[in-house]
Amino acid sequence: MDRFRMLFQHLQSSSESVMNGICLLLAAVTVKMYSSFDFNCPCLARYNALYGLGLLLTPPLALFLCGLLVNRQSVVMVEEWRRPAGRRKKDLGIIRYMCSSVLQRALAAPLVWILLALLDGKCFVCAFSSSVDPEKFLDFANMTPSQVQLFLAKVPCKEDDLVRDSPARKAVSRYLRCLSQAIGWSITLLLIVVAFLARCLRPCFDQTVFLQRRYWSNYVDLEQKLFDETCCEHARDFAHRCILHFFASMQNELQALGLRRNLIGGNPKPQEPPKTPEDLDGGSGKDYLRAICSQEQVDHLLCTWYSSKPPLDLPASPSLWRPGLNHRAPVAAPGTKLYHHTDV
Amino acid sequence: MDKFRMIFQFLQSNQESFMNGICGIMALASAQMYSAFDFNCPCLPGYNAAYSVGILLAPPLVLFLLGLVMNNNVSMLAEEWKRPPGRRAKDPAVLRYMFCSMAQRALIAPVVWVAVTLLDGKCFLCAFCTAVPVATLGNGSLVPGLPAPELARLLARVPCPEIYDGDWLLAREVAVRYLRCISQALGWSFVLLTTLMAFVVRSVRPCFTQAAFLKSKYWSHYIDIERKLFDETCTEHAKAFAKVCIQQFFEAMNHDLELGHTHGALTTATATATSAAQSPSDRAEEEREKLRGITDQGTMNRLLTSWHKCKPPLQLGQEAPLMGNGWAGGGARPPRKEVATYFSRV
Repeated sequence: MDRFRMLFQHLQSSSESVMNGICLLLAAVTVKMYSSFDFNCPCLARYNALYGLGLLLTPPLALFLCGLLVNRQSVVMVEEWRRPAGRRKKDLGIIRYMCSSVLQRALAAPLVWILLALLDGKCFVCAFSSSVDPEKFLDFANMTPSQVQLFLAKVPCKEDDLVRDSPARKAVSRYLRCLSQAIGWSITLLLIVVAFLARCLRPCFDQTVFLQRRYWSNYVDLEQKLFDETCCEHARDFAHRCILHFFASMQNELQALGLRRNLIGGNPKPQEPPKTPEDLDGGSGKDYLRAICSQEQVDHLLCTWYSSKPPLDLPASPSLWRPGLNHRAPVAAPGTKLYHHTDV
Repeated sequence: MDKFRMIFQFLQSNQESFMNGICGIMALASAQMYSAFDFNCPCLPGYNAAYSVGILLAPPLVLFLLGLVMNNNVSMLAEEWKRPPGRRAKDPAVLRYMFCSMAQRALIAPVVWVAVTLLDGKCFLCAFCTAVPVATLGNGSLVPGLPAPELARLLARVPCPEIYDGDWLLAREVAVRYLRCISQALGWSFVLLTTLMAFVVRSVRPCFTQAAFLKSKYWSHYIDIERKLFDETCTEHAKAFAKVCIQQFFEAMNHDLELGHTHGALTTATATATSAAQSPSDRAEEEREKLRGITDQGTMNRLLTSWHKCKPPLQLGQEAPLMGNGWAGGGARPPRKEVATYFSRV
């Protein structure tokens, strides 16, 4: 029970780990898709290259777009980019950071597909079998060029009558697979080295700027989530009040029209809103509802949230800071700006 | 129990992830359905195309309608669309938002079916086997000598290996490879196109109408919650109504018994009746409070009709006086004029 709560809290609080989880899930889905996909080289002269290269590049593109779609932070980033500045200035560094983190995560699944395809070799063999130099292989010495081309086009299809059990076909196929796997492993090595270098050398440049951007991009994401949750809670309380009010106004109407009969055994008591639902809602629900309880006010709130987000300027008060942080905190005078600013 | 409540709360609070989970399940179900389906090309000239087009288009339509049906919000959309405006004006932007979000989610399973069908290739092979270019793929010299119906009959049997007898004209494997290659190319293009469209819609939207989007999202969520809460309140009310009704019935029965008994029995009966009547009447008082003054069928019917015909305006400004002393004494108060404040700015 506690574990679940901790897990949910962890997942909700750290959007980075959620994104990493989604990224891994998409990579696993890619592997499954590749293994269940039935590769079918056409073994025709012009179609081979199109099919092979198309299969090498189109699914990665679709997976990249999927990776961007599935990641919530891409929408948050676009919203942050397009919002009016209002009372909170925009920092392009944060948007760039969010963009790069979204792109990095979205690139994982396409790379998995490309590497799988290269290491497997079928795509490469299909695409480049017609472009092999026949001089490399002795078996083609006594064939006319058109025969050679026809033969090479059918190399990817093992079961075809023309090339079945042919040593020449096996030679060409082995050659191309070897090339494909070499390229695949080279790309893998290159990517890992680049990732390693990027990660290790990052602290050498602009570490403070990086920390600030990471913090504020995380903040923007969490703020959006919390705003949505608060709107949900507010809508619930609004609806609750509206319904209670409706019941009460019906009663009013009835009183006015004299349709209400006396209850057996006594005068009608003044109706109070039942305590139980309000107790369940808790005090915090009522507090902000009292201030915002009409459709115009809610619309105004939502418009202001979009067009003029509040400044990042929480009034510093002793209750907000624990004693341990005081010596590091800025002077807690009212009106002190705790703005984020980056020295770029 | 607590665990389930927490999971439920998490899913409900994060409605998007809940709906996304449902979409994922339907997509998987769609793929599984396709793999479990036994495709069976008729291999006859006129029937191939009809069968294939049917398999390509009919299940997606069914899946789309199923997706809409399984979405609880469809009835909510219909209600909001057809209700009389009354004191609360209708906002077409909210209706559009609700419809778009439902349609988007319902489209995922059909798209998966079409994509899987094209990538598998059997459907395409069955539909277009008679349109294969025999001249380039097979023995082109033999084609002019064949009458068209005979050629069609031969080619229609390409998807069925056990009855194909046209190897002298065109190797079956060549035709199958050719058609499957085209089918897979179409399938991947379709997947790319749909993901591109979804990406453009999702990413470009914040560049336009973001404020209107926030409003529509809030009010559509509000309508959903309000409907659920109203149902809950009515259930509570009905329970209290029934309880009080039954208690009154028993009290009335008790009263009748009191009147009908002899004196001796009456004293003991009265004693027990009064002592028994005290606690039920306390409980009855609590239940009566829950009734909020609506205590007969005609009134309840009026309430329900009014809820449908004339929903209250979205204006809670008059909250405070209702809970104060304004009702002590129970005198008749003139109904307060409520200003209709719901209007669209979109």
